[in-house]
Amino acid sequence: MQNGRGPTPPPRTHSHVPSPFFHTPARTQSGALAILHLRKDSLLPVTLGTDSDGGYAEGPVTNTRFGSFPHSTLIDLEWGSQVRASKVNTGSKGRLIKPTPQPRPKHALSEAAADVASSSPARAPILEAGSGFVHILPPTPEAWTSSLDHRTQVVYTPDYSYILQRLRVRPGSSIIEAGAGSGSFTHAAARAVFNGYPNPQQPKKARFGRVYSYEYHQPRVETLREEIRSHGLDPIVQLNHRDVCTGGFAVDSTDGTPPAADAIFLDLPAPWLALNHLSRSLPQSPLNANGPVHLCTFSPCIEQVMATASVLRKTGWTEVSMVEIANRRIDVRREQIGLSNEGLRGVNASPASVDEAIERLREVESKLGKVESKAARLERVRQQAEQKKLYKEGHLVHRTEPEVKTHTSYLLFAILPQAVPEDNES
Amino acid sequence: MSTAHAHVQPNTFLFLRLPSELLKLVEIRADAIIDIGKFGSISSNSLLGRPYYHTYELLEKRAGEAQARIRVVPAHELNAEVVTSAPTPAESRDDSEATAGTNGVPEGYDLLSEERTTGMKNNRLTVDDASRQALSQQEIEELKKSSGGKEIIEKILANHAGLGEKTDFSKAKYMVRKTKKYLKRFTVLPMDLGTLMEYITVKEPARILELREESLGLMVAWSNVHCCPDDDVERDAAGKRVGGGRWLVIDETAGLLVAAVAERMGILFPDSEAQGQDDGKASSQRVADKSDAQPTADTSTTEQAAPKLVIHRDFPLPAPTNTITLLHPAVQPNVSLLKYFGYDTNQPDTTHPLHTHLKPLSWLSLLHPEEDPTYREPETATPAEMAEWKSGKRSAYFKKRRRWERFQSIVDEAREGGFDGLVMATSMDAASILSHTVPLVRGGGHIVIYSPAAEPLVKLVDLYSRDRRAAYMQHLAEGQQPNADDFPVDPRLLLAPSLQTSRARAWQVLPGRTHPVMGARGGAEGYVFTARKSIPLEGGVEARGNFTAKRRKVNAPPPPPSSDSIG
Repeated sequence: MQNGRGPTPPPRTHSHVPSPFFHTPARTQSGALAILHLRKDSLLPVTLGTDSDGGYAEGPVTNTRFGSFPHSTLIDLEWGSQVRASKVNTGSKGRLIKPTPQPRPKHALSEAAADVASSSPARAPILEAGSGFVHILPPTPEAWTSSLDHRTQVVYTPDYSYILQRLRVRPGSSIIEAGAGSGSFTHAAARAVFNGYPNPQQPKKARFGRVYSYEYHQPRVETLREEIRSHGLDPIVQLNHRDVCTGGFAVDSTDGTPPAADAIFLDLPAPWLALNHLSRSLPQSPLNANGPVHLCTFSPCIEQVMATASVLRKTGWTEVSMVEIANRRIDVRREQIGLSNEGLRGVNASPASVDEAIERLREVESKLGKVESKAARLERVRQQAEQKKLYKEGHLVHRTEPEVKTHTSYLLFAILPQAVPEDNES
Repeated sequence: MSTAHAHVQPNTFLFLRLPSELLKLVEIRADAIIDIGKFGSISSNSLLGRPYYHTYELLEKRAGEAQARIRVVPAHELNAEVVTSAPTPAESRDDSEATAGTNGVPEGYDLLSEERTTGMKNNRLTVDDASRQALSQQEIEELKKSSGGKEIIEKILANHAGLGEKTDFSKAKYMVRKTKKYLKRFTVLPMDLGTLMEYITVKEPARILELREESLGLMVAWSNVHCCPDDDVERDAAGKRVGGGRWLVIDETAGLLVAAVAERMGILFPDSEAQGQDDGKASSQRVADKSDAQPTADTSTTEQAAPKLVIHRDFPLPAPTNTITLLHPAVQPNVSLLKYFGYDTNQPDTTHPLHTHLKPLSWLSLLHPEEDPTYREPETATPAEMAEWKSGKRSAYFKKRRRWERFQSIVDEAREGGFDGLVMATSMDAASILSHTVPLVRGGGHIVIYSPAAEPLVKLVDLYSRDRRAAYMQHLAEGQQPNADDFPVDPRLLLAPSLQTSRARAWQVLPGRTHPVMGARGGAEGYVFTARKSIPLEGGVEARGNFTAKRRKVNAPPPPPSSDSIG
């Protein structure tokens, strides 16, 4: 973690390096993870001060379709700032050194980049480009989810927000997540359980929230491990390379304490196979022995749900219930209909009413007076529009956005109560 | 998870779910009687200390017993009743071929099965007639007095002449109906937000603006509310507070939203493990107060946090971080639902984390503090003056000072701004709220608004539309002050205002009978508005990208010739 930060933040002990997901400093800093908001649904994560393209005269630069952004223009700003694009010669002449061919880790600050960032006194003065801007935002699980590389099917916010609510995950909870996949749920779960960083120096205070994450695909494990580390989540998230269906929920860590999970999220092809390992009777049970355990499985097919439900009911789980979440994003716009705004952007140039249609028909049919040419008419409309407040004209309407996610997965929930002797009467 | 959600503890609220699926809200005390409607009553002591989520059955009273005894109905018994014949799932992934033999569907549905024509019953011969039940109503009433629920159901089934003609489906439905009617069972559920919402949605949904769990989930996710264990708030160059886990909340759901936000911050439950500065003191105090009631495991650890400041119980100085500033329209906030989580604002439990982490503030105090008498500093007295007072007067004096200090710190902090976000569910006009509160949110902070209907939020999105923003900036570029009628809010201050709605559709999952449930409660779609606070550039900037048409320039200075290095 230490080399992931620039010189500006005060030195902290390893266990207290705050994750950028849980702590947003007053201003943007070198070495910090930031999200560049290019436009709606177009987010770009960058580690400030990290040279990903390499070797510009301006130091580290992020190039987007809305312009080039030298990191020196992104650092020491108020978060949320709008930033103008700068003039950067992205051709070979603008380079101090040849771009290195091998790709660097996406969000890690490499030594070479740090050198470039700090030791270029004769750096070219940066000129603002005439157009183009981005906003610079602190990272959140939602921003990360919508910007991450799709390594697997991603659990999106409408699903994970509901799941975490139903699983009763709270700060201090311990949650198991198997198939970590692209890490979307991992980030959201880490935020939900977070209540501080465990500190080995201090005597064990209250219980600290942990995410026990399992993934069987080696390359995905490595990518996610690097992400967790560079996001400062390693004190919260314990990532294990394991197939939970065969290997169970043992953890890789040196102390090897079982997770004592309060909640479990299974995003697996055959979640029912993992249920054998989620029993209270196992010698090293991964479940919290002193409370109820909430479970959710995330399966796209109804057959998976039926198989899982059947095993859940045979193995003592109760409150078995299933839902699917239908989320719609709503588009809000002003619909301009009518000949009076003909030719303007986004206007449906058909008559707005019978009167308007008749007026136009009379104009065309009469042929007596001089009929205005179309070009003249459009020019007149344009000039009139300058005086109008088009932003408050027309019908204000809302509708579902064109692309609808009609199915993500079925969410099957169940609860395993704490065990009691069965013949317990009172 | 803390023990509050694991075991039934005295002086807490919990729910009993009856076979009819209705929830019963119970405040449980030691040595009391819990009335379970027509089933009878039980002693509260028989539930205390038991783990949650178990289902109990009332046993027949023995002679001389005042209350019924209960027994735990084991999960396998409950599940066996739900499922009569479950198909076995594939035991391993390689076995998936095995189920294909039956095509994975119940026999009657299997088009490839040869017994298709004979396999399935239908309701062609069903006779709807009360005479098919041999038992009379009177006999059933007698049975109810003499035997347990299970026996009644068995006798009723045995005396139903047409049972054999029923299809499996209608037999199952019949069983469920009779079970609901005669089994004296209940399930004990802990007090938590989901169950509380379910309870209120049935009773008085308008009280919580018909908020459903899926909308609440969206709100707490998009607002990025989380626990902030920092000890202090960072300050910007001008010395103003920025962040520190401080949230502005506007709540017209009787405290449900406050509870949801507080839950994510770890300050909703009395024994929650928030790491705020004063929690050590708070919980050690609590342990001392209630040590006989609940010998908690972490007594030793909480007592280690030695108090630095003396916190007075009536008007403690609010916590610096991990706090909720609640803006309310009335003199007092309506957060009555918080009492179910141990915090009653009328008689606050001074050891509850909300006592120091919830900062209520009326609109008048926020916008015109000088008009609020509480904000005026009470007279100061010299020690010499005080020495002559009686002790009652002296303590009243200090109480007044403490009250003012607390109030002043809440007002000043709120007016300084720098909040991490704004979360609201209200029927007040959103634009009038945002014009005052968006400037108080830090750059990049989150604005999340819930409305049961779309229209108020649709109007709000329109106030931040691209065209309106362009017009606003045009006014500024021309040196005019945009008029408040057309621009009730500064449209530059929010980034990517978006609107969404979620709906959970529940399913029945039973072998051969899996389908969405036929009805659900809640007519309100529940819309959630999300946006982030933007810090706009002075003078504006022209957009770049592949827009369909060239847009009007809004820049005051003429742009330099654009570099064409970017595609």
